[in-house]
Amino acid sequence: MNAAIDAYELGVRFYFDRQRRPVTPALAGLRRRVSESWGLRDLSFSIGPGESVALIGPSGAGKTTLLRSLAGIFVPDAGRLEVRGRVASLLSIDAGLLPRLTGRENCLLLAVLGGLSRAEARAAVARVKERSGLAEAFDRPVSSFSQGMSARLGYAVAEQTRPQVLLLDEVHEALDHEFRAIVEETAQKIVGSGGIVVAAGHDHPLLEQLCGRALLLRGGKVAADGAFLDVRAAYFAEAEMDGRAE
Amino acid sequence: MPLRRLDVLLSLTRADLNARYGRGPWQLGKWLLDPFALVGVYLLLVTFVLGRAGEAPGLSLACAIVPFQLLMMTIVNSMTAVSARRSIILNMSFERILIPVSAVLTEAVAFGASLTLVVLLMAVYGVAPTAAIVWLPVVLLATLTFAAGCAYPATLFGLWFPDMRVIAVSLVRTLFFLAPGLVSLSQIEGRAGDLVRLNPLTGLFESYRAVLLYGHRPAAWQLLYPVGIGALFLVAALPIYRREQAQFAKAME
Repeated sequence: MNAAIDAYELGVRFYFDRQRRPVTPALAGLRRRVSESWGLRDLSFSIGPGESVALIGPSGAGKTTLLRSLAGIFVPDAGRLEVRGRVASLLSIDAGLLPRLTGRENCLLLAVLGGLSRAEARAAVARVKERSGLAEAFDRPVSSFSQGMSARLGYAVAEQTRPQVLLLDEVHEALDHEFRAIVEETAQKIVGSGGIVVAAGHDHPLLEQLCGRALLLRGGKVAADGAFLDVRAAYFAEAEMDGRAE
Repeated sequence: MPLRRLDVLLSLTRADLNARYGRGPWQLGKWLLDPFALVGVYLLLVTFVLGRAGEAPGLSLACAIVPFQLLMMTIVNSMTAVSARRSIILNMSFERILIPVSAVLTEAVAFGASLTLVVLLMAVYGVAPTAAIVWLPVVLLATLTFAAGCAYPATLFGLWFPDMRVIAVSLVRTLFFLAPGLVSLSQIEGRAGDLVRLNPLTGLFESYRAVLLYGHRPAAWQLLYPVGIGALFLVAALPIYRREQAQFAKAME
């Protein structure tokens, strides 16, 4: 396994119409009053095999944008980004589940989108059902699930795709303590076998459990990079100076 | 098509079928409800209000309504195809180019089921299939090609102008009435008869009537014109779609 992440002067730009609704660049070109803002700007860092990195910073700092870029969901508008290794991502509170489908149907879809074949996805269903602990709820529409149940299912599917790079954005914060232990165990396994875990959120004790290193993001840029405790201390010191309370 | 791509396409389609039409025996009922109801309503209109029933009016109507439903539902589905998949688009990286194709396939399954209406009406009117039935797969393929050609621009339109989706649906519905949908082409006289030929739906509707009702092979223009228009839509929209697909997640933020 040779997982690695390299970002060099990475930039991700968003366009908004006059009602501040996000629009695509092609549509922005057709409209007169369009504003733009950079979600990430001149971001450079590297993450090597066996590293687990927390993304911390205030809301709107660019944590989710960075994770989506790492997952290949956002294409960079500037700079360069290289991610090596099979990626699994849980980047929204709904864990990527479609609410009108049942847990089983979501499992089959997400497993294939995550890189498994349809036959492999079918074979993984029983394992996902057991691992998620959803029991009969597994065959109910996801719209009836709590956030924690959605996160459990999303995580259990992601695990089946045997990721080398695991990206987590606040989803794990919706999990109960029992399942958090499972996430920690899996994250340690991935890191132990040369993979990478990148997690973002505001639950710093949980992030500390998962990650040895942290990137502090502010205004779409890296404000600090180092050991988790040092970076968190810098973040709190900055927040205190700015009069913000975390 | 590489196996991986086929797996993704079939999974997207399967999920779309369940999300749009539910599960179990009711699924078939939902597929059939719309075309059955439309044929019933238009049959009353053509027979009693307009008094222009013509030959086997129910079957003639079904020859227009069944392919039109495929086109209509493909466009409706395509226009919401990106927003309906918001959660997976924001969470996973996969080939977004497959989204409109999966919308076409989803509606093609419903379309396949609604062909039973045509069979039923052939039996009701005592219209036996002739050798021209061998042209049916070609007619079906032309219909699917035209629908696929419309799916890509419809997906972009729905993403770019979400507030205009209702108007777009009304415009597409208007196309049905600007084609020989309610009455056959032979019943439309004079300049109007020439003008409706510009509508690609005219060729499709008439080719179904040719094969299923009149028992002869469709004229070349009836198949080539809609296929050509569909191909034109595809050629125009595909490069834009390819460029835009990388930006779908940003528009869903």
